[in-house]
Amino acid sequence: MQLTGTHKFNASATKIWSKLMDTDTLARITPGVSKLEEIGQDQYKAIAEVKMGPVSGSFSGNLNVLDKQEPRSFVLNIKQSSKIGNVAADVKIELQSISEHETDLSFDGKANMSGLLARTGQRVMSGVANTLSKQFFKALEEELASQEG
Amino acid sequence: MTNYIGKAVKRVEDKRFITGKGRYTDDIVLPGMTHAYIVRSPYAHARILSVDTSAAEAMEGVVKVFTGKDIAESGINGIPTGWQVNFKNGDTMKEPPHPLLVSDKARYMGDAVAVVIAESREIARDAGDRVEVEYEELPAVADAKKATEAGAPLVHDDAPNNLCFDWELGNPKAEVNEAMSKAHHITTLEFVNQRVIPNAIEPRSAIGHFEESSDKYTLYTTSQNPHLTRLLMCAFVLGIPEHKVRVVAPDVGGGFGSKIFHYAEEALVIWCSQRLKRPVKWTADRSEAFMTDAHGRDHVSKAEMGFDQNGKIVGLRVKTYANLGAYLSTFAPCVPTWLHGTLLQGLYTTPKINVDVTGVFTHTVMVDAYRGAGRPEATYLLERLMDTAALEMKMDPVELRRKNFIPAFDGVTQPGYQTQVALQYDSGNYHGVLDRALEMVGYEKFRKEQEQARKDGKLLGIGFSTYIEACGIAPSAVVGALGARAGLYEVGQVRVQPTGKVSVYTGSHSHGQGHETTFAQVVADRLGIPMDDVEIIHGDSESVAFGMGTYGSRSLAVGGSAIVKSLDKIIEKGAKIAAHKLEASEEDLEFAEGKWTVKGTDKSVGFGDVALTAYVPHNYPAGLEPGLDFSSFYDPANFTYPFGAHVAIVEVDQETGKVRLKRFIAVDDVGNVINPMIVDGQIHGGLAQGIGQALLEGAVYDENGQLINGSYMDYTMPRADDLPSFEIDRQVTPCPHNPLGVKGAGEAGTIGSTPAVVNAVMDALSPFGIKNLEMPLTPERVWRAMNS
Amino acid sequence: MAKKIQVTVNGKAYSHDVDPRTLLVQYLRDVLGLTGTHVGCDTSNCGACTILVDGQAVKSCTLLAVQADGSEVKTIEGMADNGTLHPLQEGFREEHGLQCGFCTPGMIMASADLLERNPNPTEHEIREALEGNFCRCTGYHNIVKSVQYAAKKISKQEKVA
Repeated sequence: MQLTGTHKFNASATKIWSKLMDTDTLARITPGVSKLEEIGQDQYKAIAEVKMGPVSGSFSGNLNVLDKQEPRSFVLNIKQSSKIGNVAADVKIELQSISEHETDLSFDGKANMSGLLARTGQRVMSGVANTLSKQFFKALEEELASQEG
Repeated sequence: MTNYIGKAVKRVEDKRFITGKGRYTDDIVLPGMTHAYIVRSPYAHARILSVDTSAAEAMEGVVKVFTGKDIAESGINGIPTGWQVNFKNGDTMKEPPHPLLVSDKARYMGDAVAVVIAESREIARDAGDRVEVEYEELPAVADAKKATEAGAPLVHDDAPNNLCFDWELGNPKAEVNEAMSKAHHITTLEFVNQRVIPNAIEPRSAIGHFEESSDKYTLYTTSQNPHLTRLLMCAFVLGIPEHKVRVVAPDVGGGFGSKIFHYAEEALVIWCSQRLKRPVKWTADRSEAFMTDAHGRDHVSKAEMGFDQNGKIVGLRVKTYANLGAYLSTFAPCVPTWLHGTLLQGLYTTPKINVDVTGVFTHTVMVDAYRGAGRPEATYLLERLMDTAALEMKMDPVELRRKNFIPAFDGVTQPGYQTQVALQYDSGNYHGVLDRALEMVGYEKFRKEQEQARKDGKLLGIGFSTYIEACGIAPSAVVGALGARAGLYEVGQVRVQPTGKVSVYTGSHSHGQGHETTFAQVVADRLGIPMDDVEIIHGDSESVAFGMGTYGSRSLAVGGSAIVKSLDKIIEKGAKIAAHKLEASEEDLEFAEGKWTVKGTDKSVGFGDVALTAYVPHNYPAGLEPGLDFSSFYDPANFTYPFGAHVAIVEVDQETGKVRLKRFIAVDDVGNVINPMIVDGQIHGGLAQGIGQALLEGAVYDENGQLINGSYMDYTMPRADDLPSFEIDRQVTPCPHNPLGVKGAGEAGTIGSTPAVVNAVMDALSPFGIKNLEMPLTPERVWRAMNS
Repeated sequence: MAKKIQVTVNGKAYSHDVDPRTLLVQYLRDVLGLTGTHVGCDTSNCGACTILVDGQAVKSCTLLAVQADGSEVKTIEGMADNGTLHPLQEGFREEHGLQCGFCTPGMIMASADLLERNPNPTEHEIREALEGNFCRCTGYHNIVKSVQYAAKKISKQEKVA
């Protein structure tokens, strides 16, 4: 499954970068994530509860941040497994400054699913991914706004 | 005089089914029964690094967890295949082991890794979720053609390029190439005959029951083929004595091929039961059925047909890649070869044919026989080629067929027809079925309507398919020479009880075909007794001597013939008893209407009287054994060759691409008919499945070998409002080589219908210059084609 | 955890303690032994488990047993009246509307609901009403005829009555 999208933030690339690299913030704003623990340099352990259309499950696994080009881009490598199937994804996240207070965040990647998730969930997965990314962006926006306030 | 044969006798078996009293495997509850849940690989290809069962085993209600390691250590074998096809160079095909539970690697999504046995289904399932398996995911390949390319991931290390076999049949390639080089026109098509999932509505289920007190095993299973399952399981997998094993296939909720095969779960529940000394039941849920039932079709082919300037076929060249899945299922190697290549003569006088088939392993579930098995794939190639060639040569598709049909022959006064691809057709009248179908369609009128509709901007199309199939499987010596590892005869025992009631035991199995009715009609008529006096018993290895099961439209042609053989023996012996009772000579007697009569007199003795005498032999012929009970093996002399003409009329919605099947006309010749109601029902069901493949169905594996439409929410099957009522008729050309003159009706509908529907859609789309689209012809696919 | 439910099934009152996660179909099959109601899928798409709950066709795999508490349930086993087949049962036999028999109970129950709402359905209405029930054997052709047979028979019986 292809994962792509963009969102414009009213914040500088540096500021967004620092939020994205902060474990506590990420744990707070990522939909479904109940636990995010740093286990090494740019390596995290994550536990998430996600409902995807007809199937829902508790996922656990690793997140790795690769190819960091501060504050322009990084690759998020995700490996999550659950009883309803597993997800492996590589997503490139890019931050492009439009002005001092405006930044376009775009992501582009591919997710591979297996198990029940692939068998019965695939149909609705891109919709689920869109919803989750919207929730994430909204939460990140609020996070950025609250810091300013 | 016949009282029953040829009549639409209502089914005997229906009473229990319409009152909810059918007894299917999952309905059976045994004292002390446990429940199995199988932990399956979510990956199509993965190394199994570790399996931790401790959390599962600690749960209350869990009896035991077995893993692939336990199976490996027990020294039992894997699931065998029943057919051998060699490489062209003579090397034996690759036949990798298929363990009941894997310990090293998972080779398809759904490969079994561990089994949890618990006190209830729910506990077993919950515990299954707690079995921790650590996998290392490996690259996978699901597409047969890609799997043969250099660098493709290997399913089995000892099968280079994922090749199981390569195989060729027909005239030498050079001869075919020579004929094709002189062709006036060559029609070339590349096809994907997509993978379809049989989806019998009853999911597979198996109960293993080991009784320590007697050392006996009973397997209840959803099988079309209980005796073969017993043989394979005892002799090849578990190494347990066959006479200590009873296999029961009770009421079975549809099979369509998918329940012919011996599955790992059957041996697994027996193995577990033996270890736990308790009955073990496993029932697949639908999701598991999608993943683990053997699928059908999945061919990628290129086919070329050459014609002379008059439209006569001069040659046919076919190259096929057949996906076999990750392991070899029971009949897998036979389906794309001997059941496919041999049918490429079709109804036509094609003088030169060569077919080349490569059998390929992929990281997908096993592919094996599904209704029609090989023959629908062959028919699809031929019939798509015919309609496409007609379009290309600006000929009428009906005329093109008529030019090329083999002339009618009855197989009695005229010899059978020897094909270029190994078969000898028994009898046929191919013009007859086509003429009748055209009459029912109103062909001339339709073409005029179509012309007008096109002017009005409506997309109407008509498609044809004139098919033949080889069924009544099969003469043992022939199939033995072709690689079968078993005989394909059938067994029929007729036991006349002292009171003249008759118990008939058949090795054939009914899972919807209505044996209890059709077979009883034959028996009652031959013996001249009421049908109520006849009971048909099937599906239990303990009561039926032996059997080869039901598939390949063989039940009546082979199983019915075995019963007839036994009936002949009954009547012959009965005559000796009757002669003694009538104080007449045997030669002076005739048997009719249930009694032996001295010719030219009114002296007679009835069947019941003779039966009683056979069991109370006080006044009895000297030297004659008491009793009236005969068993026969019937091994057919040839396959049977039903044929027919199918016509589809469709309308395509230009806005949405949706294909509406407006009419479907089928004229089939299945030889003599015992019960027309049941034969019609078989045709209807076959049509629905063939139409399903054309328009709706198709298993989709992604590039990682994940089956992404593995549920009824995602896999589209025909529903009541997807289909019209069918218009069907029959022609009767008796089979010349079996006593009933029957050919078989189970697969005809499926074999003929798919290309007719696709041809009709192509005809409808011809104004767009569209010649070939892959099945299923979903609205999206059709819309895209119209709009590109 | 078990919860007490009281249901009337085919005219007989039952009271059982059930696990809250027990599906109604499991209750019918495993607890009451009414195995005429079949399970053909796990996504409520096949219709093999269709029964009548308070007169309405329901896929019994979509309902928990506890949700049926206090309801009147009818299954295929309750369709015949003192040994006399229901017109639908008779219709399926007369018109060869079944082959393997696995989908049949669900088909009959769904058809019963249809005829209750629409005693004289057209072929199109029958096909639409049964689109929640899979049959893999008959191609639906004779199922349509079976329902028509029953509709005719019921209307005749009502005229007499």
